[in-house]
Amino acid sequence: MSANAQPVAPASPDTKSPPALLRADGVSIQFGGLKALTDFHLSIQQGDLLGLIGPNGAGKSTAFNVLTGVYQPSQGQVLVRDTKVNGRKPHQINLLGVARTFQNIRLFRALTALDNVKVACRAQTALHQSRLGLGAKLVNAGHNYADWWKALLLTPSFQREERRLTAQAEHLLEVMGLSHRRDEEARNLPYGEQRRLEIARALGSQPRVLLLDEPAAGMNTREKADLMVLIRKLRDDFKLGVLVIEHDMKLVMGICEQITVLDHGETIARGAPAEVRSDRKVIEAYLGDSYLESHGGAA
Amino acid sequence: MQSPALPVPEAPSLVPPALRGILPLLIAIPTLALFHWSLTGSDFATYLLSVVGVNIILAVSLNIVNGMTGQFSIGHAGFMAVGAYIAGYTSLQLKEVALSFLPVSASDQVLFMLALLVGGVAAALCGFLVGLPSLRLRGDYLAIVTLGFGEIIRVFVQNTDAFGRALGLSGIPQYSSPGMVFFWVFLVVLAARRLAGSSHGRSLWAIREDEVAAEAMGVDTTGYKVRSFVFSSFFAGIAGGLFAHFVPIINPGSFTFVRSMEIVVMVVLGGLGSTTGAVVAAIFLTLLPEGMRSLFGALGTEGSLAQRVDQIRMPIYGLLLVVLMLSRPQGLFGTKEIWDVLPRWLPRKRRGLA
Repeated sequence: MSANAQPVAPASPDTKSPPALLRADGVSIQFGGLKALTDFHLSIQQGDLLGLIGPNGAGKSTAFNVLTGVYQPSQGQVLVRDTKVNGRKPHQINLLGVARTFQNIRLFRALTALDNVKVACRAQTALHQSRLGLGAKLVNAGHNYADWWKALLLTPSFQREERRLTAQAEHLLEVMGLSHRRDEEARNLPYGEQRRLEIARALGSQPRVLLLDEPAAGMNTREKADLMVLIRKLRDDFKLGVLVIEHDMKLVMGICEQITVLDHGETIARGAPAEVRSDRKVIEAYLGDSYLESHGGAA
Repeated sequence: MQSPALPVPEAPSLVPPALRGILPLLIAIPTLALFHWSLTGSDFATYLLSVVGVNIILAVSLNIVNGMTGQFSIGHAGFMAVGAYIAGYTSLQLKEVALSFLPVSASDQVLFMLALLVGGVAAALCGFLVGLPSLRLRGDYLAIVTLGFGEIIRVFVQNTDAFGRALGLSGIPQYSSPGMVFFWVFLVVLAARRLAGSSHGRSLWAIREDEVAAEAMGVDTTGYKVRSFVFSSFFAGIAGGLFAHFVPIINPGSFTFVRSMEIVVMVVLGGLGSTTGAVVAAIFLTLLPEGMRSLFGALGTEGSLAQRVDQIRMPIYGLLLVVLMLSRPQGLFGTKEIWDVLPRWLPRKRRGLA
């Protein structure tokens, strides 16, 4: 564990543990004059369950987008198992083992639950596009066209592959308790199940790191409690490192072992839930300094 | 892979897996041959049938891009033109050639097939060149680029001596037959159907539904979009090639923007994403002008109206679209396919595996 007691301490790169599954090193991102994220550090190991919190507009989702390749960092670097991934496209980063869910659910609405998961499962069987060289690209393109022909000719190997994907996707639906929704279109699922389907889909891409963007948004208390148990279980069963963005303090404090707090793009605190909760800066960010004045410091 | 490797279930099918790939062909080719030999109707019926077939190929192939992948291409006639001119030109050049080991008619058909494939590949190549830069971007860029491409091809042909300028290419050997056209109709429908049901098709659907999410799930969106576009252009080229071999003359006027829009209308009318819909709409919209012609003729309204059907056709298409968008915005078939709706004769749907 790289849980660092000091607030705002960078994740030290020279630990003896194996290379972090996902690491951000001094990542900053600027949109015009707006600094959305400043000197952001993060390190996720297998078995970690980290939280990322902060008031609205603090840069949490921006951090996610940088980690998954949607945005390019203006400074600093993102590393997946010591491979620098700045400049890689989101799908390439996904193939390296980083999967995410979205704050506003982004399922393939017209596809069935099963097909949603199968899309993610499939991508992983494609050649890994971790290199950007022209030669590799050509080989890849040739392979993809060949694959396309296999599908058109319905070759036995293609049929076997389809059955394998189906079995894998069905397994994931079962894990997420969605087996009964197998053939239902994603848009017809109730909200909570859509959230779970999104996680199932993310798992379909066989990640080593799972990034959950407000997984409990819109859920009731009971669903949230179930979700907490589920996230822990997934981490253990799939041997993942998990990073959770969450507004719900109870959820974050309940499951995360280390929490990073962002405000205005800056990391203002990092540490165990109890430490973060009593951190002066955090309280200030969430409740304003007038609260501190009237209550005479950290509660 | 972290989750335990799951056993791959056996194929629950009556047909051995090795045969499933070619089974439809084994059934279709004799049927089409029968259809071909039994067809002794008038020249006009043959011609109309061929036009219907070509339009089906165009609509089904465009549906792969506009419907399944959710990109908006409005230059399909451009790719058709490439196929028509290249295939026609090839046939003209090979007119005097015959394969000595085959009877003349068979030799002609082989050369015809060759010309078609040359045309199709040329169109696919154009699709690749057009698609690669424009499909990297999200949104409407493809529409603009394909619109431009269609016009460029038309203007290019209009000013190239080898392609007969505005007069067009004439004297292309009339190798085509409804049998051949419908062989390709069959191929494109089969290909579209298999594509839709495969992991490639699912990736295309995913792009249509949510490109950002597809990308985040490891789908190489640019790659898939380009492949679907190339695939679609290939069949447009084939359709053009077929067209060139049954009309007496091809000229730039056959491949205008209006032609492209006609195909788009077919796809939208049938339902974006439904191959069945594309087929039905292509048949309907091709026969509609003929129907109107004979209707107006029979009604005996001013003879001029029957003659002006070609001019009033587009407003009628427009009206049809407006009515459709108001009453059934997803198109006639939505994304449904006839083979999903039909009562299941074969135990095709696998249940309770794993």
